Amino acid sequence: MKTKKLSKIEFKHQRVLIIWAAIICLYGFVFYYVPLVGWLMAFQNYKPVLGVFKSEFIGLGKFKLLFEDESFIRVIRNTFAMGVINLVCTFVMAILFAILLNEIKTRGSKKVVQTISYLPHFLSWIIVTGILHDALSGSGIINELLMNFHIISKPIDFFAHEGYFWPIVAFANVWKETGWNAIIYLAAITSIDPSLYEAAAIDGAGRWAKIRHVTLPGIKPTIMILLLMNVGNILNAGFEIQYLLGNGLVQKVSQTIDIYVLKWGISQADYSLGTAAGIFKSVVSIGLILVFNNIAKRHGEERLF
Amino acid sequence: MKKKLVSALLITGMLSSMIAGCGKSAGGGGAVNADGIKEFTAFFAVPGNEINNDNEIQDLIAEKTGCKVKESWLTGQSAEEAVGTFIAGGEYPDFIDGGNSSVQLYEAGALIPIDEYYDNYPNIRNYFTDQEWDMLRQSDGHIYWIPQFSKINGEERVCQHNDEAFWIQTRVLEWAGYPEVHTMDQYFDLIESYNEANPTMEDGTANIPYTILCDDWRYFCLENAPQFLDGYPNDGSVIVDPETLTVIDYNTTPTAKKYFQKLNEEYKKGIVDQESFTQTYDEYIAKLSTGRVLGMIDQWWDFYNTAGDAIKSAGLDKQGCEYVPLPITIEEGMTNQWHNSGGAFNASSGLAITTSCPDVEGALQFVNDLLAQDVHDLRFWGVEGVDYEVGDDGLYYRTPDMRVNCADSSYKAAHLCFYSYFPQFNGTSQDGKNAMKPENQENEFYDGLSDNLKKCFDAYGVKTYVEMLGTSPAPGPWYPMYSYSQTLTTSTPGGVAWNKIGEVKHEYLPKVVMAENFEAGWEDYMKVYNECKPEDFLSEMQTELERRVEMAAKYQ
Repeated sequence: MKTKKLSKIEFKHQRVLIIWAAIICLYGFVFYYVPLVGWLMAFQNYKPVLGVFKSEFIGLGKFKLLFEDESFIRVIRNTFAMGVINLVCTFVMAILFAILLNEIKTRGSKKVVQTISYLPHFLSWIIVTGILHDALSGSGIINELLMNFHIISKPIDFFAHEGYFWPIVAFANVWKETGWNAIIYLAAITSIDPSLYEAAAIDGAGRWAKIRHVTLPGIKPTIMILLLMNVGNILNAGFEIQYLLGNGLVQKVSQTIDIYVLKWGISQADYSLGTAAGIFKSVVSIGLILVFNNIAKRHGEERLF
Repeated sequence: MKKKLVSALLITGMLSSMIAGCGKSAGGGGAVNADGIKEFTAFFAVPGNEINNDNEIQDLIAEKTGCKVKESWLTGQSAEEAVGTFIAGGEYPDFIDGGNSSVQLYEAGALIPIDEYYDNYPNIRNYFTDQEWDMLRQSDGHIYWIPQFSKINGEERVCQHNDEAFWIQTRVLEWAGYPEVHTMDQYFDLIESYNEANPTMEDGTANIPYTILCDDWRYFCLENAPQFLDGYPNDGSVIVDPETLTVIDYNTTPTAKKYFQKLNEEYKKGIVDQESFTQTYDEYIAKLSTGRVLGMIDQWWDFYNTAGDAIKSAGLDKQGCEYVPLPITIEEGMTNQWHNSGGAFNASSGLAITTSCPDVEGALQFVNDLLAQDVHDLRFWGVEGVDYEVGDDGLYYRTPDMRVNCADSSYKAAHLCFYSYFPQFNGTSQDGKNAMKPENQENEFYDGLSDNLKKCFDAYGVKTYVEMLGTSPAPGPWYPMYSYSQTLTTSTPGGVAWNKIGEVKHEYLPKVVMAENFEAGWEDYMKVYNECKPEDFLSEMQTELERRVEMAAKYQ
């Protein structure tokens, strides 16, 4: 393909468009790239009183400190683990839910179920964690149910055991986001050509076979794109939920990179260390997207770029 | 065309809001409002209650002083997080109390040196002695903040024990015939036998015999009792031996082990609330407010203004659900120092004025005016005839209705304005009769007690909370040592150790209390604890102790 130079006449014709585009570019530059100057902090012994331009340069010292810190390695592990668990659970549940919902043929009940299911998305985490904390407390509804069914004899203190923490976080994510995430799949399903279903029916396909051979392949491109975008978000495993649900007993499994950044960068006023941890997170996220995009490319699947 | 116009409007709107966002937010900074009142802003790195915008006493004070301060408080975050965010943003309210992070504010160059101005403001200048002012000087020799709470005018007057203690509900004491309780064993025996005889409240709600607040920085309710049990005062992070002037680590003393072993036993018996270590502060206050909790360790200021008021306004004081402190030590016959007289001069934080304040003189003038007796009376007593009456003998008192009002949170928000984190006096008023604050006015305090509290106090032959514990003078010029450990950061080995110790204790103390096998649990804890290098921390505390003793010697 040959790139054509913009002729004067064309420029005149597209003047308005070009101005709008320039404004957007400027916006992106000012708000996404200029703040990156702050990354300099990670390579300095940053002191607020001196600012970014006068603080002493120390190279990679802060990164070294970071990777020598046992607790940083632990928060990376926690972040990855919770990120992957959340991704898998919310992803699978959303697809499953969309397909099931699509199988409901009465319009009214379908609408009702869908509306109810995505409402939790609009609750803030502080409310969700409040509900969870209540429901899972010693006298909460879950313990009461389990006791009434004689499954346990003594209330379980769910937040006192490290083993329960990741499942609780995953459950909260699934509860909150399944309905919302399913919307996009439902939209994709509706755009599948109905004649395909008819053809399948003529070939003797039942419901199950239609799902397997028509619905799933039909939404595969959507699945791939969303998967790729979400992989980049693995390290955003969360901040609020872990911060709000964590306590001293489970701190070894509950703290994520974001909490670490808050603790060291803001609370301990070591802004350089906090920035370094943040940079690490961004770089790994970009790396993850690149790797998965490449894998998708090699298998001839839909991809981001 | 219409579409274009709309989008152009949208874009302009967006851009202008962006530009507005960059500018300095309006209001505050000594800006003068329509009534000719200067308005300042303040942030305090402690949780607190905001008052209404049209608060009546705030307006009265504004009429007298020409100034008004919009106060905001910590919500949800820790003090360090809030202050760190301010520093990262580089913009501050006019007044700030950074709590534990005050030194960070100073290092970030955010504060105005008060000593360059204070000679013009007599109430501020005379607030502290030269020795006390010198204790506030930072590394550059300047003074940046004013500790608000330690100043005692004239004779000390205390009725409330504003600090930490083993608290117990009066109904428990009444049931047992007001016994003398001096040790942990007696305390838990009493709670156990009461709970056995009365497992529920009057309405059938099950009692919670003993709970432990362990939420984030409030875990002092679990961790620092060993210092008190050994008969030492609240130095907070270490014990100071006043004879040899050495610091002692209270985490590893035999008393600490005994204390946690006792908690472990009680936990297994089900006396210690099983949710102790996972409950949040709000859940804890909610529990206390229902009157179900028979006893706990806490600081008075941490539960009284919320749960204490709730108990009163729900009428639970009639069931004996109010708390009194008990003089508990590890063994019988020791002197306790749960309460010290003389106030604790906490040099590590206080009210400061920031570089963002354009009218430093105005701000200092306001602080100066707040310390005048008439304004001070407005702040703490309220309006004469509305919030208090003056007796024939000149003593202030409140009618029962006034007392109810003053415990009512919506009345407080609409009417009362303490400016509670601005400098203030304790002790006796300039008139030589009244106490500076109503809660320390003996006659008013005692008359304001509920019948159950009066009965309890009478049975022990005391008149105040403080007399329940007894009092001894502050041990020495180094006290309190926590004002130093609070300022430690991870830039020194001692600070790193202090930080790690905190983390380890947050995790292992609950584990120790919940352990099936206490000995093994304690051993695990001690092993991890010693890996934090507590000796680094202790040696820095020792150095500071010696520095303080030396400095005080200069003035003798």
